[in-house]
Amino acid sequence: MTNQIELSGVNKYYGAYHALKDIDLTIAKGAFVALVGPSGCGKSTLLRSLAGLESISGGDLVIAGERMNNVPPRKRDLAMVFQSYALYPHMTVEENLTYSLRIRGTKKADARKAAEDVAAVTGLSDLLHRYPRELSGGQRQRVAMSRAIIRNPKAFLFDEPLSNLDAALRVHMRKEIRALHDRLGATSVYVTHDQIEAMTMADHVVVMRQGVIEQQGRPLDLYDRPVNRFVAGFIGSPAMNFIPATAGPDGKSLVLALGQPQTIRLDRPIPPNRQLVVGLRPEHLVIAANGTGALTAPVALVESTGSTSYLTTATTPEMVVVINGRIPVRNGETIGLDFEQEHLHLFDADTGMRIE
Amino acid sequence: MSDTNRNRFMLAIAIIMAAIYLFPLYWMYITALKTGSEMFATPPSFWPSTAQWNTFAYVWESRNMGRYLWNSTLIAFGSVALIAVLGTGCAYVLARYRNGWVDIGLFLILMLQVLPASLMITPIFVGFSQVGLLDYPRFAVILAIAAKSMPFFVVLVRATFMAVPMELEEAALVDGNSRIGAFFNIVLPLARNGILVSAILIFMQAFGEFVYSKSMIQNVELQPASVGLNSFMGPNTSEWNNIMAYATMYVTPILAIFVLLQRRIVSGLTSGALK
Repeated sequence: MTNQIELSGVNKYYGAYHALKDIDLTIAKGAFVALVGPSGCGKSTLLRSLAGLESISGGDLVIAGERMNNVPPRKRDLAMVFQSYALYPHMTVEENLTYSLRIRGTKKADARKAAEDVAAVTGLSDLLHRYPRELSGGQRQRVAMSRAIIRNPKAFLFDEPLSNLDAALRVHMRKEIRALHDRLGATSVYVTHDQIEAMTMADHVVVMRQGVIEQQGRPLDLYDRPVNRFVAGFIGSPAMNFIPATAGPDGKSLVLALGQPQTIRLDRPIPPNRQLVVGLRPEHLVIAANGTGALTAPVALVESTGSTSYLTTATTPEMVVVINGRIPVRNGETIGLDFEQEHLHLFDADTGMRIE
Repeated sequence: MSDTNRNRFMLAIAIIMAAIYLFPLYWMYITALKTGSEMFATPPSFWPSTAQWNTFAYVWESRNMGRYLWNSTLIAFGSVALIAVLGTGCAYVLARYRNGWVDIGLFLILMLQVLPASLMITPIFVGFSQVGLLDYPRFAVILAIAAKSMPFFVVLVRATFMAVPMELEEAALVDGNSRIGAFFNIVLPLARNGILVSAILIFMQAFGEFVYSKSMIQNVELQPASVGLNSFMGPNTSEWNNIMAYATMYVTPILAIFVLLQRRIVSGLTSGALK
């Protein structure tokens, strides 16, 4: 598979502020890549640098085999969907869709035909003569998408396109965007702060923080083997439980600081007496009868949505447990908690890096 | 007080205020239609007994108003054209770039606005006469008005440009347009109303401009209507009906244009661009 976008050693400074630090990223043709991270992590800056709306301060930016560092946006042949949609308010939907074609000198009839074809795909056929102000949020979103797919760009760039929609529509559009991507065989770069969007839509997830790529890989690899505490806490919902711990003198056990120290056994050797942080995902904890589990914890709160129950323990730090269905546990009760050894994540207490 | 009563009360106050504000305009119109004796009657009449329409034709002919109004129009259009072309570009740059120099530029622009025309006329007159601009007095007045009114235009139009979201331009860039193309295709149409309103205000200012025209245009042939009106009024003038007829013919076209264009001014073009 050929690479559609290659970034190597990309840096971006705003004055003294270092917004992107040595970004290396390769995006294969036809891939759906999600850039995810908390606000201010540089994901949007990276996307805008790809589009040419920001110039990069150093490194190489290659699109479809051509170095594009200083090429203006119009010559990069990319399409972008903005968070605010950025529809041209003085143009009808049809004019919005055909704008990029008209600039390139496409014949009027051909442009109209293209707009009708795209509108048929995205369900806008009846709205072609309306103005953006006459459309609902979801319809505007579709126009923004249609405007991107009407020509055949080298890649699609999405800048948090779903963040202005309500929850139900967001879930629906998630599937639609992914289906569209597959049908067009396009290359997509998708920026979001929502890790669920990233996990469900992308083939390749890039987790960023403070201008650095913390980890990238297939979504489930990031979930199963986060390289550090940040990625572990960012991927997965509810977030992973972190408990400070010390390795036992035999290197085969861990002492967890849960208010009361509790000792658990370990089936892999670690250096004795090392300071660690243990990570346990809420969905990997299983409730056992009091005194039979690996851990013991009093229950602070039980919340149930019907399908799923959330249990918070009264330990310090508190732990969250997610159980499918309902649980016959009341507040104040003491329970045992169990887990599989393979679900136990260990991180260095100082660096936050994963320990195998 | 109930809501409807309060509304009626507010409406009554609004009507009274508007009546006070518009009274001079009304007085101008009816005085123009009165006879010489009715004009000085005590108590004054608020409606002319026999309207003297022929006063207008007489004043138009005797004062050569066609020529005056032509000069006013020329000066006003010249000023608006110059300001619109230069000021729009200036306002766009000031709206899109933020740094220390832009702030200094804005401050200087606002400073210019503070200086009154009667103060500026002497240095402008001396300067223009030295470079020979006074040989083209109407052009000299256009330049002076442009310099005087440009800051006002720039500040207004800059606010209009700032209301046009940056994303729209960026979308146009990614869609394949150049920076200049995006300006003309996207930004300018969306800022059109703001520019139009500012241009109308400038036009009206320039159409009634007096200080520069009076000082720089000595030749009666080239003077605008404001100077013509001034020369109409001597120390012993008593022909107020003729003067008011002159004033009526001077301001009514501008009033009409303003009323006609006002509809275009009120329209929310940018709504629906975002979200």
